[in-house]
Amino acid sequence: MQRVQSSKILRFTLGFFWCLLHLPVSIVHLGSYLIKQLLYYMISSGLLQKYQNLQLDKLRYLAIVVESEEAKNTTKIKQLLSWLSSIGVKYVTLYDMEGVLKKSVETDLKSSENPSVADGNAVASVHQERMTVELLSFSDGKGAVAKAASFLCLQYLEGDSVGYNKMEPVFTETDVTNALKAVGHGGPDPDLLLVYGPARCHLGFPAWRIRYTEIVHMGSLRSMKYGAVVKAIYDFSKKHQNYENMPQFVYEHF
Amino acid sequence: MPRGIKRIGATGMPFPFSREALAGARCAALCFGFGSSRTTSTTAVAKALPPPHLRDLSRPKNPNLATIVYTMLSSSPFHFRFHSHSHSHSHSPFPYPSPPSPVIANLPSLPRVPPYGGGGGCRPLQPPLVSYIPSLGALVPFPEKKPCCVLPADAAASIESRQGAWRGEHEEDEEDALPSGLRREWLPRHVAVIMDGNSRWAKARSLPTSAGHEAGYKALREMLRLSCAWGIRVLTVFAFSSENWLRPKAEVDFLMMLFERILRENIGNFLRESIRVRIIGDSSKLPFALQKLAKEVEEMSRNNSRIELVVAVSYSGRGDIAQACQKISQKVKHGLLEPEEITESLIAQELETTSIEFPCPDLLIRTSGEARLSNFLLWQSAYSELFFTKTYWPDFGEADYVEALFSFQKRQRRFGQRIT
Repeated sequence: MQRVQSSKILRFTLGFFWCLLHLPVSIVHLGSYLIKQLLYYMISSGLLQKYQNLQLDKLRYLAIVVESEEAKNTTKIKQLLSWLSSIGVKYVTLYDMEGVLKKSVETDLKSSENPSVADGNAVASVHQERMTVELLSFSDGKGAVAKAASFLCLQYLEGDSVGYNKMEPVFTETDVTNALKAVGHGGPDPDLLLVYGPARCHLGFPAWRIRYTEIVHMGSLRSMKYGAVVKAIYDFSKKHQNYENMPQFVYEHF
Repeated sequence: MPRGIKRIGATGMPFPFSREALAGARCAALCFGFGSSRTTSTTAVAKALPPPHLRDLSRPKNPNLATIVYTMLSSSPFHFRFHSHSHSHSHSPFPYPSPPSPVIANLPSLPRVPPYGGGGGCRPLQPPLVSYIPSLGALVPFPEKKPCCVLPADAAASIESRQGAWRGEHEEDEEDALPSGLRREWLPRHVAVIMDGNSRWAKARSLPTSAGHEAGYKALREMLRLSCAWGIRVLTVFAFSSENWLRPKAEVDFLMMLFERILRENIGNFLRESIRVRIIGDSSKLPFALQKLAKEVEEMSRNNSRIELVVAVSYSGRGDIAQACQKISQKVKHGLLEPEEITESLIAQELETTSIEFPCPDLLIRTSGEARLSNFLLWQSAYSELFFTKTYWPDFGEADYVEALFSFQKRQRRFGQRIT
């Protein structure tokens, strides 16, 4: 009986110490969350000078991936685009899997003043103020590669019909890149990709174009913050500056 | 097939802070002076203690403070497990108590367990280290004591597939081999890793780059061991990219020799542990001896089924897609297919990963703080959970792996129309 009681006391004591250890861990987490929110607020308010003049030399193309359910919130999308425009981003690629953005955002952008539309292909480009917005969906990713493969095969067969004893087809990465451009899916490779949604994944963004794209998960679109967008762009610009003076072949290293 | 997961916890409660709790636990470890993954204090503590299965828990032999603490914790009703890292870098912080769960009976000694679980993949495994702090929700209620039974990862002879997962006959005991809070049915089936940071790790320690790659090899060995123990089905590692051929020749030559040595040294382990090895990438650029050895290892291990270790050497994600297009065009040339019939699924079937049991990674980990794919599994990673950690690859240990797996389980994942 004494042994059982001492065992229970020991168990209670260890459990108490376990709780005692876990409490500061949770407090630390809560504290870091609050600090982050405070930082975003200060950035939005313009209190931090270093976030005011962003160096966008390295950020030529920005991509935004939105989870399709959240992409239905057109107001938030338009707010995000206006933020990016005010920051000075010149080219934005908007992507969602199901093409929700293509249906909702494209219409709004076309109806805005001074629209300049370049469509007729799978990708619709709409110029908004001084920013180009490219709208993509799942079919512009893997489906585009299938079209490019078909294009390459047709090209090869045409060449084969002319000559004889033709060699086996050999396709390089350059061939596929050119084929994607030929079928109208030759958009630029984004430098930075911001993911809005519950999952940290790019949800099928055109695989060919994200070879060296920096990927940042921003959380839910509902809780998006201007300060978080600015910070992501600032961190990206700083990160790339670290590699500026390094030889190109060392840029990617393990 | 892609599948959604829910937020889960040890008791089914949400895990809002598990990842941050783990990070905070590391801070706590530092506060208590047990070191971090980058110091040797943890290694020193681990080395001071003999492996659990060789210890007499009732009578500690070394009456130092660490042993006393260990004995106290081991004899408690809580399930404390310790693992000796005497042969490799110790990347894990001091072990933390797990939440109340199946406990070790107060036996004088635990059964002897061979270091790699014996042959044929059917032997008991040494349980991996439990080294994190779960959420408070896992405390209630306290379970009753029951004997610990460590079962092999593939003890489940009858496998029932449910939402892509499998359950064995001894499900509760198999969960005992997992760190608490991780549920086997929510583990990723395929984990991919970009092993980045070897050179920077070495530079930070004023060591040659080769030392970094050697340390990276040890980290890979540990990750493979944990993946085997926890039932991961496929582990893909990015060992050498097509761009890495541009690195200094001396370093490239060293890496090629290292790959050859790794394959030779571990042939026996692969067969013993039933690990199937696959090499993907443009092998034509590899030294002839390495090409030959890689083919031999692949052939020798082709019937192994416990876990698939896919090593990407001289691999390019774009190159993978291009060679798939090329294979399809050969079929078109021979009249097996029309150009108009080419679809994305046909391309997926011709990728280098197509013959893998689960070709698309559920979780993709990149170390050293970089947050990009760097031309790795571009097509296959469409629905992969991306986990970027600042830890350099040689320092990536069990705690980091658990954190990544927690991150995978915590996120609510949906895949468009394929919501499950």
